[in-house]
Amino acid sequence: MNRIWLLLRKDALVLRRSPLLLGILLAYPLAIAVLVGLVASYASSKPRVALVDEDNLPPTVVIGGHRFHVDKTIDQVSKNVQLVRLSPAEAAHQLKNGKVVAVVTVPPGFIATLKEMVRSPQLEIQLSRGTISSRVDQQVQALIYSLNRQLQQAYIGTNLSYVTLILHGGSGTFLGRPISVLGLERSQRVLARMPQTARVRKLEDFIHDARLALANTGDALKATANPIEPVYASTRGRTWVLSANVQAYALALTITFLTLMLAAGSLAAERDENVIGRLARGLVGLGHLVWAKVALAAALALVLGMAIAVAFGVIIQVGGVTGGEPWRRLPLLVLGLLLAGGSLGALGALLGALAREARSASLVALLVVLPIVFLGLIPSEIVPPAGWASSALPFTHAFQFFRSALFDLSPWGQVVRQAVWLLVLGGIFGTLARLGARRLLA
Amino acid sequence: MSSEQLLLSARGAGRRFGQTIALEPVDLAISPGEGLALVGPNGAGKSTLLALLAGALEPSMGGIERRKGIRVGWAPQRPAQYGRLSARENLELFARLEGEPEPEEAAARLLRAFDLPGKASPSANLSVGNRQRLNLAIAFLGRPDVLLLDEPTAALDPEQRRRLWERTTALRDAGGAFAFATQNLDEIRHYADRVAALRDGRLVFDGSADDYDRSQADTLFA
Repeated sequence: MNRIWLLLRKDALVLRRSPLLLGILLAYPLAIAVLVGLVASYASSKPRVALVDEDNLPPTVVIGGHRFHVDKTIDQVSKNVQLVRLSPAEAAHQLKNGKVVAVVTVPPGFIATLKEMVRSPQLEIQLSRGTISSRVDQQVQALIYSLNRQLQQAYIGTNLSYVTLILHGGSGTFLGRPISVLGLERSQRVLARMPQTARVRKLEDFIHDARLALANTGDALKATANPIEPVYASTRGRTWVLSANVQAYALALTITFLTLMLAAGSLAAERDENVIGRLARGLVGLGHLVWAKVALAAALALVLGMAIAVAFGVIIQVGGVTGGEPWRRLPLLVLGLLLAGGSLGALGALLGALAREARSASLVALLVVLPIVFLGLIPSEIVPPAGWASSALPFTHAFQFFRSALFDLSPWGQVVRQAVWLLVLGGIFGTLARLGARRLLA
Repeated sequence: MSSEQLLLSARGAGRRFGQTIALEPVDLAISPGEGLALVGPNGAGKSTLLALLAGALEPSMGGIERRKGIRVGWAPQRPAQYGRLSARENLELFARLEGEPEPEEAAARLLRAFDLPGKASPSANLSVGNRQRLNLAIAFLGRPDVLLLDEPTAALDPEQRRRLWERTTALRDAGGAFAFATQNLDEIRHYADRVAALRDGRLVFDGSADDYDRSQADTLFA
């Protein structure tokens, strides 16, 4: 233990003497975290969808007495997609080469069918193939939902005008033809002037009931159109920048970069400095040497992780943002940082032992760290093999530990599970690193 | 001399690096009061044999035996120290690892003895000669009974060479021993009691320095 402490102190001193290296090691992962955040937000930006107009949509359309400005309506409904008008051939070409992710075709006769208000006109939709097609499908469905919402008001208004005509009577149009309707009210008055036979009274009762029922038709139609209506309450939650995911992700990504590169580089550096032989001749066992690098990674993960967590905590505190337990959960975060740092440090030590030279080790660590991080980003339910591969690496478990430790109301089950994962993976990678460290003597 | 009296011995010890045999199995012993010179052309296996004797390398075959309780100091051919640490910090770190009871004192003593700069600048900034002096000074930590020195004087000035040989011969005279790899015939003549000659990874001569005449050396280095 004393020897591990001596090597740890030596490594800390060496790091302190390398301010440029330390600065890069700290700044680089933070920069990557920001870039990944930008990429993630870009990924959720509007996909490009082609609109093929085979019906020559006019600038304005009157449906059920409502005037629709087609372009304005399209702008209003295309909140989640960028609609671009293309010819059928160009749309098909761009769908093939991926410039658009979907093609929405307005077939001939669309507006005429819409104006009839008897049948539903159809939009033809073609989607690109691939993993994001389900997301595009959702967004196209959202687009059609928005269009339907706009048209719904016109349809309800038109249907209500028929109901009004049935209730009060008068003139109107149906399928473009003028019609004249007696109406229930006038029918009731006609019946009242007739001899009050049993059949007439039955008809009067029916008209009375029908008028009562039709009086509520407006609300019933609206309820039919929207059986469930969402109501958005305004809250003071976290923005995405301060979200639990982003904070946990920034922590995991930063310490993954730092610990992997540092542990790999510093173990291989023992050979570069030609000190490994001096140490191995009974002064420090190779096992001690590996665990000293694991301890170094854990200590650095703790220091850096706490600095990030405190910075987030202060921003949240000052901004009065609710949600999460930025201060009370710090002790739990300490445990997570030590375990994650140690586990990642063991993996780094393994890379250092395999690479044998500090420069190669740093390069290998850099090459390895990116897939590890990106594997952890892919939702396992979408690409299960990515989930399996990610489970065998510490990054995902570190991320889940941090997220749960900082934000779950009852984190214990998840924290214990991820702690066990980190311990087991750390043990496996540490043992492999110890075996691989013999290569440093060659 | 019985095996109990030997300080350090290689028993059929050899070393392979991958498919390459750096050292064929060698039997070689170092006795108290002995100065052993390892000679041979470049790539003969001298450094490998010293590293095996020091315990810095594990033999691929055979084994290394040490008398119980003896301490071995080792200075490899290429200086082995931390470039970001100063000479003093290197000495203090290795003094602690060697179990010196007073590491700061031991470091100060060796800084003086090897005329090393005590300032805090990194040892990587030292001259080649000073780096070699530090390399040798670290070998003297822990008060070794046997010193294994790989071409120790290659980068030293004459005064430093003289002082180094004073220390090593003093150790030998006190009942310890030293072994050194060298290409320098004068050093063999002046400081070696025994010579082991290696060629292509094989031990081709093991005898007294007197027996190791110039013709033998000429043959060996040819």
